[in-house]
Amino acid sequence: MKGAKAAVELLEKQNVQVMFGIPGGVLLPFYDELVQSDIRHILVRHEQCAGHMADGFARVSRKPGVCIATSGPGATNLVTGVATAFMDSSPMVAITGQVATGVLGNDAFQEADSFSLMMPITKHNYRVTDPKQFPETMKRAFMIATTGRYGPVHVDIPTDIFQADITDEQMKKEVRVPKPRRNLSELLDAVKLLEKAERPTIMVGGGVIWSQAGPEIMRLAEMLMAPVVTTLMAKGSVPENHPMVLGVCGMHGRQVANYALNNCDVLLAIGTRFSDRVTGKLSEFGTKTKVVHVDIDSSEIGKNVKGRVGLVGDAWTVVNALIAGLQRRPKASIWKERILQLNKDCTCDYDLRTDPIKPQKVIHDMSKYLPDDAIVTTEVGQNQMWAAHFYKCYGKRMFITSGGLGTMGFGFPAALGAKVARPGSVVADIAGDGSLQMVSQEFATAVENDIPVMICLLNNGWLGMVKQWQKLFYGSRYMASKFAGTTPDFVKLAEAYGAVAVRVERQSEVAEAIRRGAKSDLPFLIDFVIDPEEDVLPMTPPGRTSVDCIKGRCKWKGGVT
Amino acid sequence: MEVMMMLVYDQPGVMQRVMGEFNRKRINVETIVVGKCEMADRARIVLSISDREKALAVIEHLKALQEVIECDLVDHSRHEAYALLCNKEGVCRLTGSVDQVDSIVKKSQPEKFIQAMNAI
Repeated sequence: MKGAKAAVELLEKQNVQVMFGIPGGVLLPFYDELVQSDIRHILVRHEQCAGHMADGFARVSRKPGVCIATSGPGATNLVTGVATAFMDSSPMVAITGQVATGVLGNDAFQEADSFSLMMPITKHNYRVTDPKQFPETMKRAFMIATTGRYGPVHVDIPTDIFQADITDEQMKKEVRVPKPRRNLSELLDAVKLLEKAERPTIMVGGGVIWSQAGPEIMRLAEMLMAPVVTTLMAKGSVPENHPMVLGVCGMHGRQVANYALNNCDVLLAIGTRFSDRVTGKLSEFGTKTKVVHVDIDSSEIGKNVKGRVGLVGDAWTVVNALIAGLQRRPKASIWKERILQLNKDCTCDYDLRTDPIKPQKVIHDMSKYLPDDAIVTTEVGQNQMWAAHFYKCYGKRMFITSGGLGTMGFGFPAALGAKVARPGSVVADIAGDGSLQMVSQEFATAVENDIPVMICLLNNGWLGMVKQWQKLFYGSRYMASKFAGTTPDFVKLAEAYGAVAVRVERQSEVAEAIRRGAKSDLPFLIDFVIDPEEDVLPMTPPGRTSVDCIKGRCKWKGGVT
Repeated sequence: MEVMMMLVYDQPGVMQRVMGEFNRKRINVETIVVGKCEMADRARIVLSISDREKALAVIEHLKALQEVIECDLVDHSRHEAYALLCNKEGVCRLTGSVDQVDSIVKKSQPEKFIQAMNAI
């Protein structure tokens, strides 16, 4: 059979039901075969969004998201989507077309060295130059994406591979991918440390989401009497309505979560890479703390935080091993009582009933009125941090955000991908006006493919986070952070694409708009005109410690130590 | 000086990917020897790096690469060096221990030379 038909068959055999992409010259043989296939192809309006949609799809379905772009500009546009997935360890198979092998390297029309471009931002990538190896390459790509630490795999396919003959024998060839080894040799040390701890704290990261280890971690937390703090990526892995779950830590985290991090004597860190947004000043982080670091990727252990007990393995397995290993009764009851009280003290009322609308009010009402299986995505910036700090994620709720790369324009396409993966759930993107303008063309994709997501736009007319930093650290000298007037009119913009849109300017109308949006059969934009003066606080300035935290409205009295 | 030996698949793009990891970690590679080895379709890469801590930090990342089959530091007792020296009289080949080769190269002050570390 021809390579193009083989490609489609290989995707079908991998149980790919949906793919996101844009065709182009070198991909035409492949798209011609797609006509016969049951695979749902969602035509996006920009390749970057194909990447984000596949990413959102993968995070909800836990299967590799598939995106496809043509050679040259298609591939370069896809780069941001792939890099975003890489930084958040999201499984993806990204396919790009390439010019024919005969002209490869000759600067042919729409040629870019996408193999080299994708190399540092993928878990692995291939350029297929021999049709004989094409089937096994495709199989490997899917396996690598979902073996060990998940990640994107890129396959660059020159157009003549689609025309070449592939034999049944080549199609049937089995492949294997080495699995990363577990290393639990320090398990006993870890257990001893945890048993002796007087102030243990568990910090969970994105690895826990992928490993679905939330319930086991809660069991371990109860055994250890340890509070659980999450990183941004882990939000939703443990129920945030549990009294021992302290919420998101880090730069814009909850004060009680940072308090637990600063004051614990033993920190059990699971599936997290100690990002600078979590640790603040790295040299000061955990100076008084013994760290037990659990990660599926051995290269993460000791990368950012030194002097630790390292356990290599997936979160679920290691947590179960720890539970099995614990024998002595922990001595942390005083710590537990203190944390429970502080967590209560840290819970403030942010149902702010003032006009202009405060963003916290919007998040509050989303927390209250969205169903228990709602999926929330965010863009990047103030909207993301308000969502991370104030949105309550529990039950079957999911929180999807670009935590590693911090890609503005991620949330909307990711929401579309999430909705495709789980059409029965309400999917809402918490957006900012800066981010949404980067990907607003995808309203066309949403309407055309009947993907009814809700976009809750926190519109303050600024690149809000840039503005906040200019205000706090650059003497309020605002440069290139304000958008002139009310351009664009987001309601008209959404309507122009055939979506439904409302503008909300009073806090009393917030709840009703959210309830309406959640029920809509069409993509639904709510343009919340919010107070442009509101900052994301509390905030620990970059490279500093909690001592220097800017509190603002936050009434935290627990102090730092 | 540390010497790192890798067994890799012998295919295009491998050097770029391996060197990419050194680039990302801002490690300057002092010398490189790459060549065929006892197995078909495999190659060995032998690199020298001045900083031991940096070398250890990058090994885990290299091991994670799909094309890298093995990767480890080589014991100092097995380090070797070789050099090609050139001056008016002609070309001179040197092999031996790192110290020997070093001192001969320094002493003979050749017009041009290339020196690398190797190990097996």
